Amino acid sequence: MPSPLNAKVSKQFKPVHLLGHIVLLGVGIILLYPLIFMVLAGFFTKTEFSSTVLGIFPIPKAPTLENFKALIAGSTDAAVATYMKNSLIRTVYNTFWAILTSFLAGYVFARLRFKGRDALFLILLATQMIPGTLAIIPTYLEFARFPFAGGNDVFTGGTGILNSWWVYFIGGPSINIMGTFLVKQSLEKVALEIDEAAIVDGAGTIRLIFQILFPLQLPIMAFIAITTALGTWNDFITPFFYTTSDHLQTLPAAITRISSVGASPGAVINYPMIITLSLGITIPALLIFAFFQKYIVQGLANTGIKG
Amino acid sequence: MENAGLRQRKIPLRRRLGRHKDALIAAVILVPMFLVWLVVSGFPTLFGFVLGFFEWVGLADTPNFIWFDNFISFFQNPVYTDALWRSIWLGGLVTVITLGAGFFAALLMNMPLFGKGFYRSIWYIPAITATVATTQVFNIFLDSNNGVINNILKALGKEPIVWQYSVGWGIFWIVVYSVWKGVGGAALIWLAGLQSVDLALYEAAEIDGAGRWNKLRYVTLPGLKPIATYIVITNLIAAIQIYEQVLFITNGGPYGQTEVLVFRIYRDGFWDFNLGMAGASSLIMALIVIVVTVLYYNWSTKSDRRTTIPLKPVKSAGKEALPHAQSTKR
Repeated sequence: MPSPLNAKVSKQFKPVHLLGHIVLLGVGIILLYPLIFMVLAGFFTKTEFSSTVLGIFPIPKAPTLENFKALIAGSTDAAVATYMKNSLIRTVYNTFWAILTSFLAGYVFARLRFKGRDALFLILLATQMIPGTLAIIPTYLEFARFPFAGGNDVFTGGTGILNSWWVYFIGGPSINIMGTFLVKQSLEKVALEIDEAAIVDGAGTIRLIFQILFPLQLPIMAFIAITTALGTWNDFITPFFYTTSDHLQTLPAAITRISSVGASPGAVINYPMIITLSLGITIPALLIFAFFQKYIVQGLANTGIKG
Repeated sequence: MENAGLRQRKIPLRRRLGRHKDALIAAVILVPMFLVWLVVSGFPTLFGFVLGFFEWVGLADTPNFIWFDNFISFFQNPVYTDALWRSIWLGGLVTVITLGAGFFAALLMNMPLFGKGFYRSIWYIPAITATVATTQVFNIFLDSNNGVINNILKALGKEPIVWQYSVGWGIFWIVVYSVWKGVGGAALIWLAGLQSVDLALYEAAEIDGAGRWNKLRYVTLPGLKPIATYIVITNLIAAIQIYEQVLFITNGGPYGQTEVLVFRIYRDGFWDFNLGMAGASSLIMALIVIVVTVLYYNWSTKSDRRTTIPLKPVKSAGKEALPHAQSTKR
C-alpha cells in the first residue's frame, strides 16, 4: 500500500523489519511442515514406510511415484480413483449451484422491489446464526424417512435416500445465504444507470443478469466459487454420515473410514494409504489456492470488514 | 369499482406490468431455491429444535414425547456437563491464542517487507487443507510406536510419551492443531482491518509526538473495533463447535475425557443412536451460540458509539464505488 508514511519507513533499515522476516518466515515454515512431511511420505513404498524409523524429514531410500499414480489410475487395495472422481463430481456440482443461486438471489435482493424483501433477507441472515450441528442428526432422520424413496412406503420400510447419489445432489439448488449476502453487497455498489441503459438498449432480465451484471461481479463470484469448492472438496461429513457404499465415498470420507475413527478397534492403521488419499485431497486444494489466492485474500478481507 | 377500472386503464400497460414484474421475477427465482432450502435446511433445523423433547433410541424406535427429561438428564449427567464446559473453555482458549498470534502476525505483515505476499500465502495454506487429511499427519507425529516426536525423544535419550493415554497432551494437541489451522486466516482478516485504518490518523498522531506504542494504543486498536467484533464472534462460534480434530486426534479418549459437546452429539447420534439426547445437546449448543452472538454483538455495538474512528472506505474487489451508487434503495 503506497503511502507517504510507508515510503518514508522503507527507505531506512529498521531492526524490527529483520524481526518481521525471521518470525514470518520461521513460523511460516513450521506451519507448512506437516504438508512438507505429507509430500515426502508420499514417495515411500508401503513396506519402506512401515519399516523406516521416521525422522523430522523422512527421505526414502527408493523413492516411488506409485502413490501419486494411484490417484489417477487407481490402486489395487482401494478404489482411489473412484473416490477422486466422486469428490470431483460433488465439488463441480456444488460450485455450479453456489455460483448460480448466489448470483440470482443476490440480484433479487439488491435490485428488485417487492413487499417484504428486507424482512425476508434479515430472516435469512438470522438463520445463519443457528449452528449447523443442530441439523446433522435430523438430516439423517429425514433422509432415512424420505417419503416414497429407497423402498419407503411413505415414511418407513426402506432406507430413504440414505446411501444414494441423492444425498449429494438434493441440496444443490438451495439458496446459498452467505453467497447471496456477498453478491447483494457487491451489486449495490454497481450504478443503477447500468441496468437502465441496458434495458433502454433492449436487454431483457436474463440478458441483463448474465451478460451485463455477472461479468462485473467476477471477483466476488470467484471467492464464492473457491470457498464452496474447497468446502465441498474437504467435506467428510455428508459422505461419512449419510452413505455407506464404497462406490459413493469421496477422498475425505475414505480416509475417515480407514483412520482410527472408522477402522475396527485395535486394527493397524494403514498410514501409507492414508497418506496417498491425503495427497489426493491436499494437492488439488493447493493448486486451486495457488491460482486464485488473490480472490481469496480479497474476499476474506471483504467478508471481514462488511460482515 | 368502475372508477378503479378506469384509473387502471389510464396507466400504460407496460408500467402496470412493471409494477408486478419485480415480484414475479423474484418469485420465479426464489421459490424453487426456498423449496429446496426447506428440505435440506429449514425442516431439519426445526426438527432439531423439537428432537430433544423425545425419547428416541434407534431409528426403528417410535419416538415418545417426554417433555424436558432429556434436558434434565443433560444437566444431571457429568458426561454432558463436562463436555459442555470443555467445549466452552477449549473454544475460548483456541480463540484467544489464534487471534492473539494472528494479530501479532498481522502487525508484522503490515510492515513494508520484501515478500510479504509470499508470507501471507504460506501462513494461510493450513486453512485450506482438509481436517481429515492433516489430522492424520499429526497422528503420524504422535503415533506411539513409530511416531516422529517419540522417535526424536528416543534419539535424544528421553523416554517416549504415549500421548493417547494422557488427557493433558490430548487437549494440548487439539489446541495446537486448531491454532495451526486458524492462525493464518485470523492474520489475514486482522491485516485487512489494519489496512483499513486511515493513514492520516497515524500522521496526525506522529505530529502529536506519539511513539510506536501510543499509535497502536490510540489509533490502531480503536480503528480495529468493527473487525474485532466480526473476528471474535466468528472464531469463538467456530471454536466452541470444534469436534473434527477431537474425533481424529484423540477420538474423545482417554475414557471420554477429551470429549467436547459436539463430539458427544456425534457419538450419541451415530454410535449409540440415542437420538433424543443428541437432539437435546444440539439444541443446548445452538442456544449457547445464539446467546454468545447476540450478547457480544450488543456489547460491541454499544461500545462503538463511544469510539468513533472514521474508517477509510474499503477498496473492495478492485473496484471503486461510484459516488452516486451508494444508495441501497431503488
